[in-house]
Amino acid sequence: MQRYLSFACALVLACATFLAPGADAKETVKIVFIGPLTGGNAALGLGGRNSADLAVQLHNADAKAKYTFDLVKLDDQCKPDIGVQVATKAGADSSIIAGVTHYCSAVAIATVDTYHKFGLPVIVWGAVLPAITYGNDYPEIHRVNGTMINQNDVNAKLVTGLGYKTWVIIHDTTDYGKGHDEYFTKYLTQDGGKVLADFGVGADQQDFTAILTKVKELNPDVVYFGGLTPIGVRVRSQMDKLGIKSQFEGTSGIVSDSYIQALGPLAEGTIAFIDGAPIEKLPGGKFFLEQYAAHKYAEPPEAYGAYAFVAANLIMDTIEKVGPNRKAVIAELAKTKDYPSIVGPVTFDAHGQNIVPIVTAYVVQDGKWVVWHDSDYAKGKRKLAGGK
Amino acid sequence: MDAGVLAQYVFNGVMLGVIYAMVAVGFTLFFGVLDVIQFAHGDVVMAGAFVGLATYLALHALGIAAPAVVVLVVACAAGLGMALLGAIIARWLILPLRAAPAFNTLLVTLMLGSILRELVRLFYPNGSNPQPFPRLLPSASANLGHFTLRLDTTLLIVTGLVTIVIVNLVVRRTRLGLAIRAVAQDSETARVMGIDFERVVLVTFAIGSALAGFAGVVYGLYYNEVNFDIGLLLGVIGFSAAVVGGLGSIYGAILGGFLFAALQTIGSVALPVSSAYSNVFAFAVVIVLMTWKPTGLIAEPASERV
Amino acid sequence: MTGTAASRVAVHSQRTDLVVAAVAVAAIGAWLWAFLATDRVGVLATLLAVAAVAFVLAQRLAPRYRRALTARPRAATSLVVLAVCAVAVALRDQPYPLLMLCTVLLFVVACVGLDIQIGHCGIVNFAGAAFFGTGAYTAAVLAARGVPHIAVIAAGGVVAALVGSLLILPVLRTRGYYAALVTIAFGILFSTFLEVNDALGGPQGLKLHGIDLFGWKFNRDVTLGGTTASFYVNYFVLSLALAVAAFVFARRVERSWLGLAFDAVRLDEIAAATFGIGVARAKIVAFTLGNLLCGIAGAVYAMMQGFIAPNNFTFGESLILVSIVILGGIGNPLGILPAALIIVVVPQKLQFIQEYRFLLYGVLVVLILLFRPEGLLPRRIREYFPGSGA
Repeated sequence: MQRYLSFACALVLACATFLAPGADAKETVKIVFIGPLTGGNAALGLGGRNSADLAVQLHNADAKAKYTFDLVKLDDQCKPDIGVQVATKAGADSSIIAGVTHYCSAVAIATVDTYHKFGLPVIVWGAVLPAITYGNDYPEIHRVNGTMINQNDVNAKLVTGLGYKTWVIIHDTTDYGKGHDEYFTKYLTQDGGKVLADFGVGADQQDFTAILTKVKELNPDVVYFGGLTPIGVRVRSQMDKLGIKSQFEGTSGIVSDSYIQALGPLAEGTIAFIDGAPIEKLPGGKFFLEQYAAHKYAEPPEAYGAYAFVAANLIMDTIEKVGPNRKAVIAELAKTKDYPSIVGPVTFDAHGQNIVPIVTAYVVQDGKWVVWHDSDYAKGKRKLAGGK
Repeated sequence: MDAGVLAQYVFNGVMLGVIYAMVAVGFTLFFGVLDVIQFAHGDVVMAGAFVGLATYLALHALGIAAPAVVVLVVACAAGLGMALLGAIIARWLILPLRAAPAFNTLLVTLMLGSILRELVRLFYPNGSNPQPFPRLLPSASANLGHFTLRLDTTLLIVTGLVTIVIVNLVVRRTRLGLAIRAVAQDSETARVMGIDFERVVLVTFAIGSALAGFAGVVYGLYYNEVNFDIGLLLGVIGFSAAVVGGLGSIYGAILGGFLFAALQTIGSVALPVSSAYSNVFAFAVVIVLMTWKPTGLIAEPASERV
Repeated sequence: MTGTAASRVAVHSQRTDLVVAAVAVAAIGAWLWAFLATDRVGVLATLLAVAAVAFVLAQRLAPRYRRALTARPRAATSLVVLAVCAVAVALRDQPYPLLMLCTVLLFVVACVGLDIQIGHCGIVNFAGAAFFGTGAYTAAVLAARGVPHIAVIAAGGVVAALVGSLLILPVLRTRGYYAALVTIAFGILFSTFLEVNDALGGPQGLKLHGIDLFGWKFNRDVTLGGTTASFYVNYFVLSLALAVAAFVFARRVERSWLGLAFDAVRLDEIAAATFGIGVARAKIVAFTLGNLLCGIAGAVYAMMQGFIAPNNFTFGESLILVSIVILGGIGNPLGILPAALIIVVVPQKLQFIQEYRFLLYGVLVVLILLFRPEGLLPRRIREYFPGSGA
């Protein structure tokens, strides 16, 4: 009996530790952030969450603002069914006016119907699958980041322009990796590059030596990797282990500080692309990075933090303009044109997709992601693999 | 196929097999003494790698840089740390559930695995992201055609095999090993013989987990990268290797480990379909093997315990 | 004379039994309502504490009042169904708790299936999510081709059972952890295959439309007598019906000769075979029935969710299903309901601690198992006359 009692007490104590705080003064409006906060994709999810949180904190610190915002943060675990559950939770809660939602494409595509059903306006901050915006006519769905189409178009043009001829593609078998594989192959073939082989790998695979031994035998000019940082790190590091000298390039999924941190000098010369303007070059971008550092978040913003920041700001500015009303917010968001942001001006097309005019190429130089055109590599001071 | 390339596949496959075998031996030892599956074993490997990494960083901060010393201290710290963790798991999670159905142990260790994973992710600095594992071994290599023979990998293979052999000798040749085998065969009789059952269980878990800790360090030194979520798949593969080989048999575990590495290598490069099917292939072969040899390749000697 | 007195006492005690049962069920219903509806941390903590204390008290009082619930199983079942319905009525305009309730009920159906395999016949199945997923994918494919939805749901179960028959040979030959490996291998193989192969949508998955049973569209809100209820009420009614059917079915099977054969096979295959029980037949029947239930649950789940993808049906999800069976107490379908609530709903209720929630959740489950090593409600020994046992 005593054991049970002590168990019950422990439970109460454990839960009581997390008791919610009290009330506010200004009218409070709730908005929601949804992303993967636990599991394998948590790094990017936490970066997005911190960035959205930063946007809300900065907004709330502004004395001129009409509303105080309260950011509800939900974890979708990068699983479609959990995504639908939390989307229902947010959509059915009428006190939540809008959402900054989803990093994982599979979750984002699974939840569009739910948001439409409940009429909750959302801005996708990380998922890159084209069909999320283009696969439906729902006015609720918007996206600030670009799709994987633009990214691979620019990618193929740039690398073929450097004089590389042959490629091996390694991609993870999630929709992210497969999508990149599809579009990159398409544009590369158009631009005259040749794909020698195409390998799909599991998203939790650890050993790539067998595949890479085959790659070594094929000896391509470039190894293209479609996937996220953890596997990108493994592939790059095992390439070195096997003595493969090919140029390594990746997608937006590896543009993260942890990629460089985990690889050290091996990261040097890796090329990758993101959809959007280089944040550190835009006026607001520097401010974002400084503020992010000043708020001492435990995790870095990662590649898509800036988009979560922009999405949260866009939502809050819209609510400031038209008031906390879902229908009004949807109507107003549709009119978004040249909204100034740290990832460049945001303009939504008829599908709610930000027409991203810019794709930025990056290369790792001296332990930093440097915009390609500013790098020593582009200027010819340093050479990529194969002397290009 | 070029002989050099073939040699490269075999060489890498052997390295992978050594890591799998080290994990599988733990599963088989635990099953031997208690008939339970410790499903968090893969995460113990991960924890071992992180303890090793933290030790390295501490040594680095203290200014100790001699590679031989560092490797030794890192490996010992991971081994001892995991031995302690293994004993703790046995004492407070596994023995208390002895009266319950064996599958409840499975659930409890499954949850323990996710706790270990989340602990590392949340509390190791920047733990959500992959961590660089230092290159501490001499990286000399010789090129023979398409085959690159690396000194560090060779050292790791040898060390891994030697560790497994030592564990096997402990189990086969020492008085402690005799006690372990006695408990494995019949714990009641062993108790009557004056063997301290609980202690033998704790020691067995300590040995198996220390081996997992070593495996973690080997993993880190080989791949030069560790991540909080490597444990789940390693655990599943280690378990599969132990079962395919035949639970309770150390040789079976080693055989299973190498078999699994071979299947994955073949699945990645030698199949007519996309390499993405390599896991489909490996696990399909496992199902066929189990149908052919229902109690593993090296079956338990006793037919049935009633 | 004494006879009538005794019968009067009996009638009286039966009445008190019913009252006790009604009070208990009403209390559980009220608790369930509060648990599903609340989002407030304090309330949640209190509810969990109340549940823990109530559980302990119930265990202490159980010997005296067990009869109240077991003597008249029909009455008890109707009371429970009534209570769950009352909860749904109270939550009728809140889609989120209703969705969670439906999810729990569908997981219950699948787990009752697994329980027939694991708890009764001793066949360990770590590919529950694969059979659940087979049902889901069958539903997606058939519904897109205009097959009537009632047939789609049935087909989900049948196809899952057929796919399961691929595994019958290895499952018959292996036991214990060896059988576990066969199913683990199949579970991993299943989700990897769906992800790699583009024939069924690949990693992006497939979209489904809501259920339409004989013109009754499930995805429309229900208006009854002036009040509008969320469309999830439709799914709730269907899920509850399925769950009740699964319970009744499992109970019937357990109490039949088939159930006895299952028990014999689980406890000792050799002895069972010696007594003329067809071990292979029992295993095939149990395995097929279990997969059938998983498949049916999966088909309905897919249509309710409106979207399915391979990573809904991974090895991890199979582990969740098995966890529910183990946590509930292997072999006792009654334990499945509270266990499913804990495994499915508690992580969602812990959303407020964001990235720490799985840590706390893991600790919670470990603690529960340390205090209840056999699960919440372990299966009791078979009673020859139901309700006669103490």
